[in-house]
Amino acid sequence: MQIGKLNLQRTNTVQNTTAQKKGNTNKLTTNPFGVSFKGNVIQADVFVNEKVNKDKNSNGIVEKSKLFASAVVSGINNFNESFKSRINSIVSFGKKITTDVCDSLERIGNTEISFDMEGIKNKLFPDRQYSVKNLSKQPVEDLKTMWQELTPEETENETETEENAA
Amino acid sequence: MEDSKKIKNIIQALGEHQDSKAAIEVLTELGTNSPDDEIREMTAQTLIKKNTHESLRVVLISKGKGINDLSARVAMASINELLSLKDKTEAIKILDDTIKLHSDEEVRNTARSVRALMTFSA
Repeated sequence: MQIGKLNLQRTNTVQNTTAQKKGNTNKLTTNPFGVSFKGNVIQADVFVNEKVNKDKNSNGIVEKSKLFASAVVSGINNFNESFKSRINSIVSFGKKITTDVCDSLERIGNTEISFDMEGIKNKLFPDRQYSVKNLSKQPVEDLKTMWQELTPEETENETETEENAA
Repeated sequence: MEDSKKIKNIIQALGEHQDSKAAIEVLTELGTNSPDDEIREMTAQTLIKKNTHESLRVVLISKGKGINDLSARVAMASINELLSLKDKTEAIKILDDTIKLHSDEEVRNTARSVRALMTFSA
């Protein structure tokens, strides 16, 4: 009986080892390089399809569609770039205008504006200076000088005659 | 505006000026010595209108000025202005003094004539 038991146990252990060996062989077939990846394994078929479609027409259409798609994509990219450049130029122009306006406002705020109203009135209405109303408000010395300025020849002649008399 | 008009306005302004003494000095210095008859006439009238002792002395006593001006136009305008004065007291007083005391006979005669006119017109 003991011998029989031993034979049975041996056969069981042999069967287990063979089963384990079979499992290992299955794993090796799914990962032909025998390297286990801890990260994501690429699920897509990365190998070149050996079944090459030899239909030239279909190949041409595909290539053309690819070219068209790439052209569209490049066109979109170009449009985006030009749009961005235009937007940037507009933004910079706006910034420049705002800074200029701020500077000019500061200058206006700092400048003092004064009007010589009497001078403006005299320029607009030159006869106004010689109106009796304005003249009577001025000091007598000023009136005397104004009179002398209006008759320069007379005053010169008077001085000459005074000198001759002396 | 012409210069003569400006001068006339200055003369008028001096006649209305508050600083009467200085205004009379300027009128006597520049106005009565002006070669322009019109300016002299207007100056004499302005001085008479002031009706002060200083202003009336210039046109009544000074030779060649006011009523003694060589221009008949200036002399007649001065006499007319004197006759149109409301208060002639000061003018008559100066004329009487001139008739009595002035050294120049021509001035005395003119003063006498004007005094007579003022007496009749009063």
